[in-house]
Amino acid sequence: MGDLFDDYDREGFFDEVFADPGVRTHYQGVVERLRRLSPTDLERRERIRDGIFRSAGITFTVYGEDAGIERTFPMDLLPRIIPAQEWEVVERGVAQRVTALNRFLEDLYVGEQAAIHDGVVPRWLIHTAEGFRREAFGIPVPHGARCLVSGVDLVRDHEGTYRVLEDNLRNPSGISYVLENRAAMTRVLPVAFAEQHVQPVDHYGPMLLRALREVAPPAAGEHPVAVVLTPGVYNSAYFEHAFLARQMGVELVEGRDLVVDEHVVHMRTTRGLQRVDVIYRRIDDDFLDPVVFRPDSTLGVPGLLSAARAGNVTIVNAVGNGVADDKAVYAFVPDLIRFYLGEEPILPNVDTYLLWEDEQREHVLDRLDELVVKPVAESGGYGMLIGPAASGEEIEVFRDRVRADPRGYIAQEVVALSRHPTLIDGRVEGRHIDLRPFAIAGESVEVLPGGLTRVALRRGSLVVNSSQGGGSKDTWVLEDDADGTGGR
Amino acid sequence: MRLDIRYTTRFRYGAPVAESQNELRACPATDPHQWLVHYHVTTTPSSRVTSYTDYWGTRVDTFGIRAPHDVLEVVAEATVETGPRPDAPSSVPMQALRDQAFMDRHLEYLQPSAHVEWGPSVGSAAQACADAGDVIDVVYAVHHHVAGFEYRTGQTYVGVGVDEVESQRAGVCQDFAHLAVAMYRELGIPARYVSGYLFTVDDATGADSELDEVEVETHAWVEVAIPGWGWLALDPTNSQNVGERHVTIGRGRDYDDVSPFRGVFSGPREHELEVTVAMRRLAVEPLGERLAAEQSQQ
Repeated sequence: MGDLFDDYDREGFFDEVFADPGVRTHYQGVVERLRRLSPTDLERRERIRDGIFRSAGITFTVYGEDAGIERTFPMDLLPRIIPAQEWEVVERGVAQRVTALNRFLEDLYVGEQAAIHDGVVPRWLIHTAEGFRREAFGIPVPHGARCLVSGVDLVRDHEGTYRVLEDNLRNPSGISYVLENRAAMTRVLPVAFAEQHVQPVDHYGPMLLRALREVAPPAAGEHPVAVVLTPGVYNSAYFEHAFLARQMGVELVEGRDLVVDEHVVHMRTTRGLQRVDVIYRRIDDDFLDPVVFRPDSTLGVPGLLSAARAGNVTIVNAVGNGVADDKAVYAFVPDLIRFYLGEEPILPNVDTYLLWEDEQREHVLDRLDELVVKPVAESGGYGMLIGPAASGEEIEVFRDRVRADPRGYIAQEVVALSRHPTLIDGRVEGRHIDLRPFAIAGESVEVLPGGLTRVALRRGSLVVNSSQGGGSKDTWVLEDDADGTGGR
Repeated sequence: MRLDIRYTTRFRYGAPVAESQNELRACPATDPHQWLVHYHVTTTPSSRVTSYTDYWGTRVDTFGIRAPHDVLEVVAEATVETGPRPDAPSSVPMQALRDQAFMDRHLEYLQPSAHVEWGPSVGSAAQACADAGDVIDVVYAVHHHVAGFEYRTGQTYVGVGVDEVESQRAGVCQDFAHLAVAMYRELGIPARYVSGYLFTVDDATGADSELDEVEVETHAWVEVAIPGWGWLALDPTNSQNVGERHVTIGRGRDYDDVSPFRGVFSGPREHELEVTVAMRRLAVEPLGERLAAEQSQQ
């Protein structure tokens, strides 16, 4: 009798589950379990999953599609599994990167700008980065934890090597899916999950809260008060903001709930004003404080930057982090790691071309049909060109854009992203995936085991961003003593 | 020259407003050409004023007033001593502007910025000044071009574009400063916008003697980077080099980086704004002579 995986074709890609003589060891237990499920059984489990997500109200608005459409962010039934020793490398690599980026940002905003003076990063590149916020100059952050929450996007290439695709150091989202996927998975495939000795993720809330308290200003005392600041219900990630506040047991507030008095931030409560020491804000820099940034912003808190500067409140993530996840600055991160830490980067970048030098740019423009071109200050997969999938017309548009603004774009070699078997209409097919681990930096850097595995659900597509209509997988990092076969 | 400055900003609101949060950039800088002796900010209603130095080196005073109020008055009082400035070098070759390290150091002052976005008309006006062939000559050619425009109030507002100023050949000090900055940047000469005070003769009474208080306005001028020498300050509005009567508050890419007052409040928008600057020259010997006198006594 045929089973779910019989017709599966790797089509020459690096596959997470199947290798040359068969199923990779760490997937054997789960594949065995899934093989034993009948089609009706699978369908039933998919229905259970849909019910769980619908009742949790998990949605993610996709910008650029019809306004107001809310759709679920579908979790695939087949989990992604990472063995302990493989994860150990990823974990160290992400922690190393975040540590270096924090040192860099601290040096830029309150330090001596050593990386500029020593020529590691060109001064002009920093000065032309949209995310470089001169308004944030001199604002202290305890422990230099400017990227308190980071989402470092990783991909695996045709050899299975983990590479960093981009850093998300402003307001990385997606952690709510990591936790919700796990909660759903333990109900949809309880036995398969229980057999595998998977490292837990459900301590993320306490882990984040602890770090937020660690970066509270010294004046906050023993029991600092933290809040989550959201732009409101119309934001695409509002669900996540509410989710995180609940996970941490702290207040979810909007700008109008906070008020600054004598350079101290307070929250309006039914019992009067309560002092706030740490703000995990999910509002972009531009909207954070109308005194300093956009004067027309009604989402922010007037006087907030002044309070932060006075050392009375800590803003998380720090203002101005966008300079470090600018995609042209990304190209210098391996050098920043060497400069600040004196270490070799554990996770390599994807091969990246900077376009302001004439020769390199012309070379890239000749190969636009083979490369990926990305705008430097965007995130979420917006406004990019995937050469091999683009029409001649689209390529010409990007040729003009790059010529008009060479600093505004980078080009990268296309990475043949690893694929993972994924349930598509009752069949298993290979789909490209990536991985966004979440790192929390307080007094030290900690990486949550796993992270969000995103799936490009369209056949052949390389774009996995949730904002571009991708799906997700629960990501299982195995305990040290587990080999994935289900036994010990 | 020792000067007393009293800078007053008064908002009268149509109805009580609350929760106002503000930033004031009114404090004279201390630099090689001027020395701040005294500075104090008072607000009514009263508030706790804290200060910091911003990215551009300007002192910023921040304060908030939560309680409802009809009038907000902010008074910044300063005493500052200004000194003479050295003359510009007689000649600097144009290729010195192309030095990589020089360009890199001044990149922020070479690019367009919020109020300094120029089009072909400013571009060609600038290029017409480039024939001079020497940095100093080009700098003064631009200066005289802008200085030839008519000073006319009521025609412009902070948001006016430099191309419009060029085509109108008229404006106020901010417009002239923005236009000159744009022309310099077009020519690859780093240029920055300066906000400050100018002690002038009182138009009505002609008063300029010691101890007479003179009503003036905030002023704006320009500084250009001369390779191998430093920043040269020019006042195109008054067709003169910046001297002892000019008091610098701050420098930036354009008005936005040094705007004297930024604030938000909650309540109806309608308000009247009154800004006054009173200046007075104090009877003291110039700092240089005083120091020399003290030294000779020792």
